[in-house]
Formats: sequence, structure tokens, C-alpha cells
Amino acid sequence: MNRAAEQPEPNPLREGLSARAVPQPCIIVIFGATGDLTHRKLIPALYNLAADGDLPPAVAIVGFARREKNDEEFRAELEEATRKFSRQAVRDEIWKTFARSILYHQSEFGDEAGYEALAKRLDKIDKERGTRGNRLFYFAAAPDQFESILKHLKAAGLNETCKGSWARVIVEKPFGTDLASARELNRIVRNSFAEEQTYRIDHFLGKETAQNILVLRFANAIFAPLWNTHYIDHVQITAAETLGVEGRAGFYERAGALRDMVQNHLLQLLCLVAMEPPMDLSADSIRDEKVKMVRSLRRFAQGDVAANVVRGQYIQGAINGKPVVGYREEPNVNPDSRTETFVALRLFIDDWRWADVPIYLRVGKRLPKSATEISIYFKKAPAVLFNKDLSDQNVLVIRIQPDEGISLRIHAKVPGTSFRVEPVKMDFHYGTSFGKSSPEAYERLLLDAMSGDATLFARRDEVEEAWAFIDVIEHAWGAKKDAPGLFFYPAGSWGPEEADDLLARDGHAWRRL
Amino acid sequence: MPVIAENYSLGLQVGIDKIDSELKKLWAQSEGAMTRASLVNLAVYSEVPGSLEKNTQLIAKITENHACRAIVIGADCKSKENRVDAWISAHCHISRAGSKQICSEQISFRLEGPCTSLLPSIVFSHLDSDLPFYLWWQSEFREPMDRQLWAWVDRVIYDSQTWKDFRAQMRLVESAQKEAKQRIVLCDLNWTRLDRIRFALAQFFDHPASHHRFAKIKKGRIDFAPGFRSTAVLFAGWLAAQLNWRIENRKGGGLLQFINLSGYKIDIELRERAGEPIGEIVLNSREVEFVVSRAKCGDLLEVSRGKRGEKLMPQLMPAGSNDPVSLMSEELMRGGPHHVYLHAVNCVRDLL
Repeated sequence: MNRAAEQPEPNPLREGLSARAVPQPCIIVIFGATGDLTHRKLIPALYNLAADGDLPPAVAIVGFARREKNDEEFRAELEEATRKFSRQAVRDEIWKTFARSILYHQSEFGDEAGYEALAKRLDKIDKERGTRGNRLFYFAAAPDQFESILKHLKAAGLNETCKGSWARVIVEKPFGTDLASARELNRIVRNSFAEEQTYRIDHFLGKETAQNILVLRFANAIFAPLWNTHYIDHVQITAAETLGVEGRAGFYERAGALRDMVQNHLLQLLCLVAMEPPMDLSADSIRDEKVKMVRSLRRFAQGDVAANVVRGQYIQGAINGKPVVGYREEPNVNPDSRTETFVALRLFIDDWRWADVPIYLRVGKRLPKSATEISIYFKKAPAVLFNKDLSDQNVLVIRIQPDEGISLRIHAKVPGTSFRVEPVKMDFHYGTSFGKSSPEAYERLLLDAMSGDATLFARRDEVEEAWAFIDVIEHAWGAKKDAPGLFFYPAGSWGPEEADDLLARDGHAWRRL
Repeated sequence: MPVIAENYSLGLQVGIDKIDSELKKLWAQSEGAMTRASLVNLAVYSEVPGSLEKNTQLIAKITENHACRAIVIGADCKSKENRVDAWISAHCHISRAGSKQICSEQISFRLEGPCTSLLPSIVFSHLDSDLPFYLWWQSEFREPMDRQLWAWVDRVIYDSQTWKDFRAQMRLVESAQKEAKQRIVLCDLNWTRLDRIRFALAQFFDHPASHHRFAKIKKGRIDFAPGFRSTAVLFAGWLAAQLNWRIENRKGGGLLQFINLSGYKIDIELRERAGEPIGEIVLNSREVEFVVSRAKCGDLLEVSRGKRGEKLMPQLMPAGSNDPVSLMSEELMRGGPHHVYLHAVNCVRDLL
């Protein structure tokens, strides 16, 4: 979005070309290079960028990890993973060229000598491959390693750049576990990298449909006058998944659905839906408006949490007709765990646009289907002519995944001699309308970071404001006295009944997905 | 579903006044299983015998990625008999989600005799409302250009590589564009053919530190396949337009000479070689050589930059393909005006 950030002088040969400019040559250093994220997402994303001609001609990818292995072994592992997880089929000739840019650097995260050797190796790569001293450090390691990595990067001088080159760091979520830890992590990162060098990744923002929310709102004049408390009745955002904890029990036990999904993904989507129009499409203009929105969220008093937030945990049930165990029976989960796998929230944005419009968020594991969508419910037309008995409202649905698209429910007259009115759906599907397949979120985000465009990355203040909102809920849940209950729901259901009651009290119901 | 074009047949023959009602029937029969999709009206006009069947095949492929209402017209202007035949069909593809068939409609017309002058009325009455109208003109343009038709066209697509007289054809297209008050965007598939190569060359100069190289370009070479000289000239025109060169003179033996803003001469050699339309581009900026060439494995480009005599480490980039489906797919993905194309044409108009 902020294309101009890296292009002070336009390249005259670029004029009129539809593809975006190729980023500057650089070295991408991945910490935690033998982990799942690298194999499933990062390398396949980089391969797809290479196959589409979007990587700079001079690029090197250095995997940094503890395990003993050489470049060839590392490449072979990554090739296998890329063949399995890549969006497009791997072509041997492209892989061969791409693989030449992949190198492995073995070191403990806390070993100073490892970073000194890394610095020397990066300099050598610069000379051999023309990567010009540009560095992108990707933290795909466990968060408890971040401090050590950052400290050593600084000690080895890898956070500094010579004139005309850049160093950037991409930090994966979770970005802290509460406000205090997020602030501490921000402080640690800031000790080594300035805010404009720091890219906090939230892969939801890399999704085409998430970016399309801005286009839908600000490129279609028909919605602008309706997008406020006068015409919108309420908003629902749902992120449902059929999966359970899938081997992430250790992390999930500590995090839960609120920290894992609401603090980042759902609040980011809410920002895009509810923020004011930015002054322009630059990274800071957009992020300024997002921060304002998060600040406008009505903070719960501890005593309000039970009435506005429902937490749940799945018990045994069935997904797609297949029996599944309850959360407490999952491997590595405490049999008495009180970690929430489901959370529903009723919240308000205290600003001029959204005054008194309830916003409902819902996220859960082991729900009947996997879907993420935003539904905007408009107020009913005056009940004087056709709709005396109608309960349906106009609903604008933005489907984030799967089957990305937008639909609008309107009323239409049923053919016949009487004035019978029924709801009908106008539907736009990305897959149907646009031939080109969407790049994976990580492709877009890696390319943006290489190009210095931070628009789709979270800024420090956004993250901290989001934690400030979440912390009140976590504190209430953790209180020794009068803590709100944990409600159970069978796997394959839409969550505990109390989540339905949350909306029923306002005369609403969750949208049937 | 007999009218669904699985084997590229023209589908169900219908009376010309029954097209709409027959299309409705077609969708009513298949409700639930298929979704009709359309982003654009794409009319294809050809006077080549057998073009209806050939273009139906092309449309079947194009609609895999570009949902549209296709209006395919095969005309025989020389026929003495006055006749119009029409067919309807749909091209269906399984959606990426894998559950639904996504279908594009095709209406086909065979026009014979003087009735070809009815083209505008035939096209107008079958456009999908509110969608842009792209006209792919596969024949030579002839005078008089039908003002009524051109006033409705959003993008006219043609391939100047097939033209016998570029200047005369371009004059007709530009006059139609002028009469349509510049509304029409001119889309030359010969220009689209260069898209990936232009991209591959442009990326060498994305870093501002490399911009000083522009002023030092003194010579270059463009290898083109037999029949694609105009493609090579258009490429040279693009370089000239974007780098502020003007044509100095046209030497014999395929050498074009340009002059840059500082008054230095630039020699661009055009060399015919069997192979892809554009086989290799070499630009020399003092000691540095920028090379974009077709990789041996077919649909990839090898790009490399280095000093002459050095062993270069080429990178691979997508090359695109010269087949009409690929060219049209590229073109349908683009938007906006093609003013860079017009600048390129203006630089080398007399050489095309």
C-alpha cells in the first residue's frame, strides 16, 4: 500500500507495468529455521514469490537454528516441505535456482560466537551475491528466545546498517501475553531495532479479503453514509475452526482463545471494520486510525466481564460425524484445565460513529465448521408496509475464509399476486470473479517487509492498546473470588448456550454460518 | 445438460429473437449445480473461415480464469446470401473451492453477406448490463469505422503483429478512439507479448543507485523470431520513450540508432533468430551487461547482470507464453489506460 516508501526516484521502465516493484536485494535470516513455521509457511511463501518473479535477483535466505546440519541437508528438508505445502506446484528448474540462495547457519540462540560468525558470513554473502548489506531478520523461534536473539544481534552489530542499506526485524505472534509482557518485549526490541525497523506480523492482515475491507468501505460511496450508528444495528465477527489444539497444547494451555485469537486477529479485523477513513494509504495513517479505534473500545470494569464475555471449553463430541475427545483429554493438557477454547464478547466502541452499536465477537475451536466472517446487520426498515411480520434485516457479510467474498441480504417480493416478501442474497465470490488466485498471506507480508511497507503490520501502540483491553478480562477470569464461570460445549456444537444468551438479551442471534 | 460446451461445440442453435429466453432456460435447468459468473462482456470478431469453432476453444480456456459473457462472431462479408445464425452455450469449470461449477455464457453468431453491417445491433442487444465491454478484433480494421459501435467499446484488443500496414491500421484505431472521446483503451497483444520481458528488464533498475546506468547505455541487441520484427521494434520504442531517446536514423542490416538527451548515440541491433518472439535482450551500459533471455526450459526467462566476460549467476523469472489464451489472460488482468504503449508506438511509428 505504501509503495513509495522505497522508491524515492521512480524507475522509468516501471511505468505502466502492472506488477509491483521488486524489493531491493537482501538477506533474510530466519531464526528457528528448523521449525514448523519455516517449513510450512515461510519457505513455501518465498518459493512462490521466486516463481512469480517477485523476489529480487540478489537474495539469500539464511536459516539459523541449533541443530547440526549443512546447507545441502537443509535445502533437501525445505524442498520436501515446499513440495507439500506450496500454493503452486514446485518446478524443478525454479527450485534449483531458488535453492542456491538458501544457506544454513548452525548456532545456539545464546551463543555469542554464533552471531559473530553470522555477521562475517552475511558480509561475505553481500560481496558474493550483491545483497548490499540489507538484512531482514525473521523471528520464527519461540518467544522466550527473542530477548537472547535480539541481545546478540545487537552485540554483533547486526542491527546497524551502513548508509543506503537497511535492517528490519519481523516478530511473530504472540507478542506478549499481557500488557506488561508486551511492553517489556517492545522495550527489548526497541533496544536493538527502532519502531520503523520492527514488523509485528499478524497473518490475518495478509489475507486478501481483510485488505478488501478498506476497499469495500472507502472505494464504494454507497456504504459510507450507512456505516454508523444511525443505520447499523449490530456487528458480528466470527472465527470458527473445526480443529482442536493439534499438538499445540503446551502453548495453548498458557494462551487460550482470548490471547491466541481475540487480542490480535479479531481486534485487527474489528479495526478495519470500525476505524475512521485514514488520511492516505501510508502505513502510519492507517495504523493511527486503528489505534484510535482500539482506544475507543469501552473498557470493562472487572464486574462487567461476566455479563459481557462468555468463555467455554469443548468436551467430547463429533466433528463431521467423527468422534473427538474433549479438550481436557487432549495430550499434554491438564485434566483440570480451565483454559478457554471458546470466547464470545459483547463490546461497544465509544465514539461518534459507533455509539450504542453492539459488537459481538466469537472465536472457538472444535466448532461445526471452519469459517471467519464479519456480518454487518443493518437496522430494519420502518414496519409500516411490507415487513410487519419480517424479522430479517439487511446483512452485509464479508467472508474472510474460506470461499472469500461478500454477500448482501436484501428483501425481494415473492412472485405472485400478494405482497409476500422474502430475503434473497446477492453474492460476490473472489474465486468466481477473479481468475488470478490470491497469494498466501505470508507471501504478501514477506514482500511488504522486504519493500519497507509496514501497513499490514501491527505497531507498538496498537499491540499495547489491545492488551490493555484484554487484560481486564483475563484478570476477571483469574480472580480468586467471583470469577466468571467456564462453560462447556460439546465438540461440533456452536459453543455454550451462554454465548447465545449474550446476544439474546439484546434481541439478537448469532448468524448461522 | 446438452448445451454445455464440453467439446467446444457451439452449443444449442437458437433463433436470434430467442437468445435471451433460451439462456434463461439453460440456467433454470442447471440451478443449484452451476453458478453463472461474469465480470466483463468479451466480444470476439473474426472474418477468418472456421473462426467460430476456433474462438470457442479459446473462450473455453480463457473463461477458466476470466468469467465473462462471450459474444463470438464469425463474419463472411463476401457471401452474397444474407444470413444470421446464433447459438448459445456455457463454459463451466469447477471452482477452486471444488464444490461448484462456475459457468460463463457464450453467444455465437455466424453473419453472412451484407448483414455484417448489423454488428452493432447484434452486440448491443446481448451485452450483460453494467459490465465493461471488451472487443477483441481479430481482423484488419476497415473504413468506415462504425461510430455507433466504437462509442460503446471500453477496450479494443488487437494484435498489431498480424497487421500488414501498421500505420494505416493504427490511424483507423486512433480515429475511432478520438471519435469515442478517448474512452476506448487500445490493447495491442503485440505489446502484451512484451509484458514479462519489460518487467524482467525493469527490475534491474528498481534501486535508485542503478539509475545512472541509463545514461551510459550505448548499445543493445534484440533477438526476434521470424515474423516478430514489429515486436522487437515496439520494444525498442518502449526503451526510447521511457529513457527519452529519439530516433536518429535507421541504418541498414537491422540497426536502429537513437540519440539520448545528452546527445550520445545508442545502437540497437535487431537480429532475427528462430525461437520465441523475443529470444534475448542485451543492453550494454559501459562495462555492465544486462541480459534477459529465454531459458532453455521454455516458459521462464533468465535474467542476469554483470561485467562482460564474467560468469553470470542468472535468476529465473516467469516468461509468459505467446499463445492467444495466455496473451488474452494477461490482457484481461490489466486495467487502466495504456499510455506507455502509445508513447512507445509514437517513438517508432515509422518503423513499424
